[in-house]
Amino acid sequence: MRVDFAPGRALAIARKEVRHVLRDPFTLALALGLPAALVVFFGYAIDFDVRDITLVVRDSDQTRVSRQFAEIFASSGYFRTVEPSPGSGVLRELDTQRASGVLLIEPDFAQRLGGGKTAEAQFVLDGADNTRASAILGYLPGILRSARRRLLGDVPAERVSLATRFLYNHELNTRWFVIPGLAVIVMGLLAIMLTALTVAREWENGSMELLLSTPVRPSEIILGKLAPYLGLGLVGAVFIYLTARLGFGVPFRGSHLLYLLLSLLFLTASLAQGLLISIATRQQQLAMQLSIITGLLPSLLLSGFVFPIESMPVFFQYFTSILSQKWFMMISRGVFLQGSGLSDLARPILGLGVIALFLLAMAAKRFKRDLEP
Amino acid sequence: MNRTILAFLRKELSQSLRDPRMRIVIFLLPIIQMTVFGLAISTEIRGIRLAAVHAPADAAARQLADRFYASGWFVPATGSGQDPYRLIASGRADAVLVAPTGGLTKALGRGPASLQLLVNATNATKARSIESYAAAIIAGETAPDRPGAPQPGIELDVRILYNPAMESSIFMVPGVMGMILCLVTIILTSMSLAKEKELGTFETILSAPLRTWEILLGKTLPYFLLGLADAVLVLAAAVIIFSVPVRGPLWMLALASVVFVAATVGVGTLVSTIAASQQQAMLGSFLFLFPAVLMSGLMFPIENMPPAILWVAQLNPLKYFVTLMRDIMLKGGDGRVFATNLSVLVLMAAAVGAASYRRFRQRLN
Repeated sequence: MRVDFAPGRALAIARKEVRHVLRDPFTLALALGLPAALVVFFGYAIDFDVRDITLVVRDSDQTRVSRQFAEIFASSGYFRTVEPSPGSGVLRELDTQRASGVLLIEPDFAQRLGGGKTAEAQFVLDGADNTRASAILGYLPGILRSARRRLLGDVPAERVSLATRFLYNHELNTRWFVIPGLAVIVMGLLAIMLTALTVAREWENGSMELLLSTPVRPSEIILGKLAPYLGLGLVGAVFIYLTARLGFGVPFRGSHLLYLLLSLLFLTASLAQGLLISIATRQQQLAMQLSIITGLLPSLLLSGFVFPIESMPVFFQYFTSILSQKWFMMISRGVFLQGSGLSDLARPILGLGVIALFLLAMAAKRFKRDLEP
Repeated sequence: MNRTILAFLRKELSQSLRDPRMRIVIFLLPIIQMTVFGLAISTEIRGIRLAAVHAPADAAARQLADRFYASGWFVPATGSGQDPYRLIASGRADAVLVAPTGGLTKALGRGPASLQLLVNATNATKARSIESYAAAIIAGETAPDRPGAPQPGIELDVRILYNPAMESSIFMVPGVMGMILCLVTIILTSMSLAKEKELGTFETILSAPLRTWEILLGKTLPYFLLGLADAVLVLAAAVIIFSVPVRGPLWMLALASVVFVAATVGVGTLVSTIAASQQQAMLGSFLFLFPAVLMSGLMFPIENMPPAILWVAQLNPLKYFVTLMRDIMLKGGDGRVFATNLSVLVLMAAAVGAASYRRFRQRLN
């Protein structure tokens, strides 16, 4: 069977879909306003620094030196000392979440230090929350170094010193890294949800039967259903861009045209994912379950948004390649912060393109199968 | 038991579970998801691609680079010996160690030498870890959680409680469990009522001689039970697959799950009483789920958020459930922590329950 594509028919489907969206102001307002609102909210909210770590000091030495040592922890800016609860052990402090860490100073701390021996202290850390625990572990060497400098005074100069230069984000502003990533998550999820119900709804309401009895071709339906949401998603993306640039001062070092085109590609992939779910399920409740399950958690946890992909086991470094969000995450951060061009981004662009094409083809194929009894 | 409720129960359960695909979504996907996230995610930064730029004859620089690679955090980047900035810009290296001009070996002969480390700071948190790892390696120290040569002067012995090996799965699983329960129950509940509204069958139910509470309970109890079944499944999978410890009493775990699922089913019901169509129910649920998942404390610490945002985070039932799960599973269930977090969840469940009931009655009158 030859597929003859008539733009007029696709346009008619698109017009119907636009009218459907316009009739539902709640959905329209969410589609347009939600992306920027989420980026503003979480742009402010997300902060990876761990500060105000509650610390209980149990000083068995009670000398000037031991108090000085404890004071170095308190004045580091990371810790906030809290009073030990009377009569309870170290474990109780952590069990009851009164403290995240306990510093135990041994009775002969000052004596040993004065006598040129190694003074001992113990740091007990709440390991129930890995992100917090690893942040605290990262602070300890620096604190210990400054304690040695202050209490011993004669630390030999290191033979090799390190001058670190942070490229692309000199001040390590976490917002610069969070916001281009948040843009990916929000755009992707919204796009999946916009199309996830379109076809399933028509099956449930019975209007799909009507549509099928007309001469409209599958490719026309798919295009007609994608195009309006592509426009809607793009407006959302522009809002996000403006929020990032004007609201948070995130630098944009790459090409605007490239970013626009790749945003379109990413939106297409996400919309196609929603459409495929919709076509395959024919049922709104299931479509929604699947779109949130395949959309929300994987894009937050496996796209490299917070947890770097390079730190995953090798299998998952490859496995995550099926997520369009992973590729667009690389593109978004690259274009925003690094000013990456076409050649730098060849791999992510290829990955994203393959996923978009695959999802579109799958959607068209499933749909055609539905049409031909 | 009330006959109406039983009838509802039978109808809702058979409606949700009739479709085999739905059975997969409700019972199998949660386990798969938890397994994937538990295995994949690591909170420790590893596999940092490091390139060392130095002259081939520079033995000291090469030795130092080897120390980086031997640490386990760094792996060699492909294509060293090029322009260091290009290596980072092209994404082939995350960090580049640049020896001083003339070579490190020569510089050391003259006295203390300085090396440059270029770090791709596109990911600011990762950049910070790279710097602290590098500083530790340069200083000849080992990380505090790895036993090493004691430093003269002051020795700090670090002990990590509850999860000494800092295994990611032990940290992730209680959180992911809450997320999955939240997703499944809220979507099921919110869509089920919205669907009846969309199809017009809701009017039929309303016109039947049923009490408000009967309808409400009949529409929510089945999803509450499905949620609990999921809780048991996911928990069992967590214990079997990841050997996540359960150090606290089981009744605490059960009570916490019951109250949490009641709260999330309540949220789903509230969403569905407001939404007019399934599309709106879906967007409404998303509006709750997205912030709830992000502010669960799993991805970034919530304690440091600005005060205005912090109180929004205090309204997140997921946050309390994750705290409860960690408290019970890892810490053995401290009574005070359990009581406070559970009572907040009870209050939340009561509040959303009452709100849905009121909205429901408004519709009836």
